[in-house]
Amino acid sequence: MRLALAYFLGIVLIFGAWALVSFSLAWAKGRPILPYPWEAAVAAGENIWTLLSAFGTSALRFLVALVISFFLGLPLGLAAGFEAKLEQFLSPLIYLLYPMPPVALLLFLYLAFGLGEVVRLVVVVMALFFQVVVAAQGAAKFIAPTHVVAVRSTGASRWQLYWHVVIPATLPSVLTAARVSVGLGITMLYIAETKLGILLPPSQGLGRFIEYYTFRADIALAGVVALALLGLLFYVVLEVLEKRLCRWKYVGVKGGS
Amino acid sequence: MIEVQNVSVVYGSGEEALPALVEISFSVGEGEMVAVVGPSGCGKTTLLLAIDGLIRPTAGRILIAGEEVRGVRRDVALILQDAGLLPWKTVRQNAELALRIQKRRESVDGILSALGLNGFERRFPAELSEGMRRRVGIARALALRPRVLLMDEPMANLDSLTRERIQNLILDLWWEMGFTGILVTHDIEEAVFLGQRIIILSPRPARIREILENPGMGSHEYRGSPEFLERAKTLRQLLEENG
Repeated sequence: MRLALAYFLGIVLIFGAWALVSFSLAWAKGRPILPYPWEAAVAAGENIWTLLSAFGTSALRFLVALVISFFLGLPLGLAAGFEAKLEQFLSPLIYLLYPMPPVALLLFLYLAFGLGEVVRLVVVVMALFFQVVVAAQGAAKFIAPTHVVAVRSTGASRWQLYWHVVIPATLPSVLTAARVSVGLGITMLYIAETKLGILLPPSQGLGRFIEYYTFRADIALAGVVALALLGLLFYVVLEVLEKRLCRWKYVGVKGGS
Repeated sequence: MIEVQNVSVVYGSGEEALPALVEISFSVGEGEMVAVVGPSGCGKTTLLLAIDGLIRPTAGRILIAGEEVRGVRRDVALILQDAGLLPWKTVRQNAELALRIQKRRESVDGILSALGLNGFERRFPAELSEGMRRRVGIARALALRPRVLLMDEPMANLDSLTRERIQNLILDLWWEMGFTGILVTHDIEEAVFLGQRIIILSPRPARIREILENPGMGSHEYRGSPEFLERAKTLRQLLEENG
């Protein structure tokens, strides 16, 4: 309840600040620059079905990209952190590729994958994949040796060792990293949907929605708000997932072993 | 039951080679309980891990029930220092871990209640006292009904009352289950209370200095008896000369 109140206050505060900025800009420039929140709300209401459809498309796209990134990044990152021999070989590769922004390669991605759904997914996956890999590798490096010995001494196979130790031990930090990466992921999603979505109708993703209504600032702003809500949605989902899957982290004495 | 023959372990190679064990030989009979003592860091844990099949000896060999140890054996269980519980598993899941990994379906209810852990099955290790955590570690090993139980300082860092309780518990379980036990410790009283024989190791790299017979061992009352105190005194002298 207190949380709901805090969010409500936050929304009021943001809308207040937004209105203030709109007002100041209009006053300074002598003409309306940034539509007021209520104007964006009316615009959202008028285009609600297109907006909802765009939101749904973007949400699904982001979810698929997130799942693919985990599916590919988690095994690679865990192995690169846990297997000492692999680490020597993979670390330089990962650290050389990690800072590379996929945005800089948009042209090549377009040439390679065309303008279909695949290329939009590839851009988002490229960004999230490395976040997952680096987080998983970092966490897997610091697994307590006694947990490994405890499981190995029961005669566990490599796969059982991963299942009982490596994955659960690293899950909290991997999920936290994923949560932190939502912002970056949403940015990449926006770029993919605008730069690589120029042929689409506005219902095919929030990025496209915003781009399509470039000259209707009130509608475009409604799209920006929806994009922020999309980020919030994934942030909350990942947090709930972490609280559920890593319940052991939240029990017992705080700071205890 | 267990034969350790001329076992040496060297970590690393070349100039960085670090010998941990030098030509260790001893044997432990079926159902016997042996204590291994030596200064901290002398290589006691290395010896235990080699017997468990987790470290391969650089030279020599180890036989259990007449077969050379070449990997983890399913009839051998290990109790780790600080229990080595997995914090993401509940008490029950931790106790079942070894069984489930070996695809065995036995229940752990019996062993959990024998160790006074019923009612705590769904707690996580972080919610337990240190003494209870050690008991979960013991439960995990004993759930396998092992023929050989290897113990790496299972009572380290416990307050003295809890320590004595767990020592009594291990003694009772040994009588009840009849496993062959090797207990690694640096605690003099503990070695005398739980070892039918006490193997004394030198500082690193570990060699066997002496093997002390301790026939009076076997009851709770032994602790504090004149014979017990005499043994403890002898063992202390031997360890001091060891220095």
